[in-house]
Amino acid sequence: MFENLTVSPSPHISKAHSTRSIMLDVVIGLAFPLVAAVIFFRLDAVFVIVTCVVACMATEYICNIIRKKPNTLGDLSAVVTGLILAFSLPAKCPLWAAAVGGAVAIAIGKMVFGGLGSNIFNPAMVARTFMAASLGGLMTTWVVPATIDAEMPQIVISADADAVTQATPLGWSKQAIKGEASIEKASSLTMPALWGTVGGCLGETSALAMILGGVYMLLRKTITYVIPTAVLGSAAAFAAVFWLVSPDKYVDPLFHVLSGGMLMCAIFIATDPVTAPLPRKGMWIFGIGVGLVVVLIRNVGGYPEGVMFAVLLMNALSPLIERMTKLVPSGGKKND
Amino acid sequence: MTFPGGVHPPDYKGLTENSAITPLAHPKQVAVMLSQHIGAICKPLVAKRDTVTAGQVIGDVDAFVSAPVHSPVSGKVKDIVLQSHPVLGREMAIIIDVDEETDRQKMPCPEKFDASFDEKQYSAEQIGEAIDKAGIVGMGGAGFPTRVKVDPSAKPEKRAIIVNACECEPFITCDYRVMLEWTHQFIAGIKLVRQISGCNDVYIGIEDNKPKAIEAVKQALANAKGCEGIEVCAVHTKYPQGGERQLIKSILGEDVPAGGIPPMIGVLVINVCTCAAIAEAVILDEPLTHRVVTVTGEGIKKPGNFYVPVGTSVEELIELCGGLTDDAAKVLLGGPMMGFSIADLSTPITKTGGAVTILTEKSITKAKFQNRETACIRCGRCLDVCPANINPTKIAHAVKFAHMDIAQQYHINACIECGCCSYICPANIEIKGYINTGKILIAREKKRMPK
Repeated sequence: MFENLTVSPSPHISKAHSTRSIMLDVVIGLAFPLVAAVIFFRLDAVFVIVTCVVACMATEYICNIIRKKPNTLGDLSAVVTGLILAFSLPAKCPLWAAAVGGAVAIAIGKMVFGGLGSNIFNPAMVARTFMAASLGGLMTTWVVPATIDAEMPQIVISADADAVTQATPLGWSKQAIKGEASIEKASSLTMPALWGTVGGCLGETSALAMILGGVYMLLRKTITYVIPTAVLGSAAAFAAVFWLVSPDKYVDPLFHVLSGGMLMCAIFIATDPVTAPLPRKGMWIFGIGVGLVVVLIRNVGGYPEGVMFAVLLMNALSPLIERMTKLVPSGGKKND
Repeated sequence: MTFPGGVHPPDYKGLTENSAITPLAHPKQVAVMLSQHIGAICKPLVAKRDTVTAGQVIGDVDAFVSAPVHSPVSGKVKDIVLQSHPVLGREMAIIIDVDEETDRQKMPCPEKFDASFDEKQYSAEQIGEAIDKAGIVGMGGAGFPTRVKVDPSAKPEKRAIIVNACECEPFITCDYRVMLEWTHQFIAGIKLVRQISGCNDVYIGIEDNKPKAIEAVKQALANAKGCEGIEVCAVHTKYPQGGERQLIKSILGEDVPAGGIPPMIGVLVINVCTCAAIAEAVILDEPLTHRVVTVTGEGIKKPGNFYVPVGTSVEELIELCGGLTDDAAKVLLGGPMMGFSIADLSTPITKTGGAVTILTEKSITKAKFQNRETACIRCGRCLDVCPANINPTKIAHAVKFAHMDIAQQYHINACIECGCCSYICPANIEIKGYINTGKILIAREKKRMPK
């Protein structure tokens, strides 16, 4: 009876969780905006989401075969990437484009760096940037959510488009900055942006769903409050400066927080632990940086939305931030 | 009262917390290790086939940091051989065959101590000499010779004594039972330590999940004479509350310098069983030959707290506790967080080993070795729980890829090896194992290259 004893370093017990269970919690958190997307965009949303998730999982499976590594689909990280990518796409995004995006996210965003945990940039944002750069107009054709009534401001981007498309709240904000539209047009969309009855990406429209997902992940301790607070706080503060200086040109901070991908970024994208710094102090710097760059692009830059560039930029800085914020052991440094 | 970091593992104390300390009949043979403490290893003072009596000094060495070892039984020296040692691999041990005719089982004697004890009748020199002679070492695990620790002439002067009664390791209940059953002996020991070290403030740190012990000690302190300045502190229940640095942080709010020890800031931390042993050594002139050991875990048929001679083999203890269950998978000396898993059950109990824990396959289903290590997703949980406030995953990966310079830049030597990082890691990475390896490699490197 003494023959089957195991020997290993301590500790000999461990907490009952795994990468899979953490990713599962993220998926559950993402389920809130998923439900919202399906409510607002109906079958269009389902198709895009399923395509992205399947493309991500298939790519991961194939990459692991090519790399002669064990299958890692079980850790669910491909599902998370697929969902986040899908949420950053418009509902009428062609499915082939969504599939290409999913493949790019996993293959170029993650696997070439060595798989989960080794990537420098957020895979979904890599794919989103790739698509924005190569597919152009497809990525900015915002369909009106099915639930919107006809009186909402609508514009038809091209004559032969088969769907009614509409400028997003951030599009109106950009036009207001350029002086092409009145600021009221944009500000009137603040409350619709909270519920989700505005044009935009699948996951961006409903701020409320994002917040619910975020609260779930906070309660499950999947994420800490640090990065969301830093991103939203710095974005709101920076936006407030613009707003106070020129309120008839720039929208108010609440609008910035609720519209576009800001909440999605603060809760689901910037909190990706792989691409954010580890120490708390570093997380604050990282989050504040993301918030600043988003508002800077929105209010000064050429694009109406700046989430993906802000995240990628700060991802690149993340190792430097980590080096800057090296922890000091309790009791001070030991000289040896 | 708490410290930053730490984890909350399930405590499993229910298995043995109500089991009274039971003296076990002496085994037929004991193996007394010549190294049961930090410091110089003892030299045997007896030879093969010598007759020894219980309490006789059988190993000693003329060094400042060391402690003699005594025979716990009467009998005959069978051999002096290498024996499995839980920490050092293999070390010399004196094997003694117990002579059943002359050997008398030693019993605990808490009834010899009462509330009226007055430590003032002993001078500091007397106490120091008695501790030295009795071979007392820190019985909480580290095994630092107590004589050196309590030395009143050490600088800086001691300003506080902290009695470490946290017992934050899951499963273990030996200190808890000593506090409940040997309360006056325990307090007599504290008073003696206070007498020799010359400082007045004593804090007894007990985790707040042990209300009975807190109550018992408080009650006894209220009844006993001359206990002014001895205070019971109910500290937050969290692992590793019983780490001396963490306990000092919780009670005094101060940090011990990284890589340093509590005496550097004038604090003396002492364990419950050590206090009880000091009382026995000074007042009854009894050497440290027996100790309380918790034999516990779901893998043992009859768990309990036992009073056993030092040198009893783990195998013997297991048999006296009804043997292992069929699904027993891991035998630990110590608790599950910092204990050592052993493969050789002839390993003897030493002065420092307060527990034998047997884990079943079920209780370690989630333990590291069974689940494949997956990639670090940099979730940061190890940073959040690290009581030393270092970056465990960074250090572990530096060691994994042999970047010892990076490991040192990230303060590998500030690690207290509590294992919180490995416990919490969702990717099942043996973070503490890597850090341990790194420390050993760095120490070797330093030895090889003189400055």
